[in-house]
Amino acid sequence: MSKINITELVKAAGNLVSLPDIFIRINQLVENPQSSLDDITKVVSQDPSFTVRLLRIANSPFYGFSTAIETVSRAVTLIGTSQVRHLALSTSVSRTFEGLPNELVSMDNFWKHSLYCALIARILAHRLRKTDPEALFTAGLLHDIGELVIFNRLPGPAKEVLLRVLDSGDEMPVYEAERQTMGFDHAQVGGELALQWNLPPLLQDCIAHHHDILQAQNCPVETAIIHIANTLALMAEVDSINLDDVPAIDPQAWEITGLEPGDLIEPVIREAQEEFIDAQKLFLGN
Amino acid sequence: MAAPSNFRPPLALPGFEHVRRAWHEAHDTYAARLLPGEYYVTKSDEAVYTTLGSCISACVRDRVTGVGGMNHFMLPASASADRDSWRSTSLSEATRYGNFAMEHLINDILKNGGQKKNLEVKLFGGGRIMSNMTDVGMRNITFIYDYLKTEGLKVVSEDLGDVYPRMVVYFPLTGKVRVKRLRSLHTNTIAAQEVQYLESIKEKSVSGDVELF
Repeated sequence: MSKINITELVKAAGNLVSLPDIFIRINQLVENPQSSLDDITKVVSQDPSFTVRLLRIANSPFYGFSTAIETVSRAVTLIGTSQVRHLALSTSVSRTFEGLPNELVSMDNFWKHSLYCALIARILAHRLRKTDPEALFTAGLLHDIGELVIFNRLPGPAKEVLLRVLDSGDEMPVYEAERQTMGFDHAQVGGELALQWNLPPLLQDCIAHHHDILQAQNCPVETAIIHIANTLALMAEVDSINLDDVPAIDPQAWEITGLEPGDLIEPVIREAQEEFIDAQKLFLGN
Repeated sequence: MAAPSNFRPPLALPGFEHVRRAWHEAHDTYAARLLPGEYYVTKSDEAVYTTLGSCISACVRDRVTGVGGMNHFMLPASASADRDSWRSTSLSEATRYGNFAMEHLINDILKNGGQKKNLEVKLFGGGRIMSNMTDVGMRNITFIYDYLKTEGLKVVSEDLGDVYPRMVVYFPLTGKVRVKRLRSLHTNTIAAQEVQYLESIKEKSVSGDVELF
């Protein structure tokens, strides 16, 4: 399938799903240098459902603030405006994509991997200190959205892809089976959706290039983090700390991020596993 | 993924020519791909592999001659759950199906030079991969333990139960096995294959096509 067809595929899917209004509105304010903290607080307060989610997260162990946070303005101040923008997207991610149902993979199983990737990316970002943990969390949640588009729009080829992976003895990565079956992969499709939605460049890069990290134009470090987090998420999911159980991590991802794989893998996986149940309630609960 | 050009898969034993085989770069070997309900026996240096949800694979070999193989089966489960009054009948019928799967594998190993006293068994599968379903995996595990106890066969290693689908790659000649837990992305595909297999054995037992021996 050619580039033009990917665009059309994503356009068709784009008719079935749309970005949450609250994200679009906060995003506009964050990107407008004229806007103030008050403007953002006001927009958040006008959305009762997001207000509840925001305060619940601000008061959860996920942030671990020492005092109770009772107002939107306090939450926005402490968490940060750009971060609140990402929360508007990540707290409604399963609802945003429920317009793309499929018969091949349950939504629970799909989001399980994405949430592990999000948690691990956030943990890695905290360790690195030079990247935004909330942005990385959202990027982790969204990194495989191209798969949802493919499952929904191209169920026949998508089924063939999954069978091909199993026939290979689970040695062939999904993106490779996609390229062989369809001529393109879920990262390209997800990247196209991120582009059509005009998502922040960081999200576009992470979604489009997490299997091809040297292609990331704007945010190579973040993209490399998502690449690593994606693989560690596979390990967390099957409860393994053995790198032989998962597709290889691109060695350049370690160089680009400056992370050292040595003592990092097991503690990061364990931390994500401990956070998982609470995070599932906060981000994927309805 | 191509095999070295002068390479062909080892000659299949009679009765196993239909099983699909392909070169596997990662294991540097030809490997036979089993689907639910199939089994494969070999004397050659090759692998046999399958994916398991709640099904069981028994890997059996003669530790002296190296002849061995793998099966992939489950007990027809739904009948007893659906029709409680017929429970005892359908249970024994279900067990009979498990017996077939085991006896086919063991008989073909013995036919190709194996001896019962030399057999070693490895067991895999029986996972509870769908959290909302009854634990059919456990029922299969109970069956296989009972069967091996009755037959006096020794289990040298096992990886049974839990919630993960599995990929099992077995090398009968050496007895080496590689078990890999599969990510939940594959759960529905594997469950669908098992359901299809269950339907097929239900039809067979109704029409009396299953051969007793």
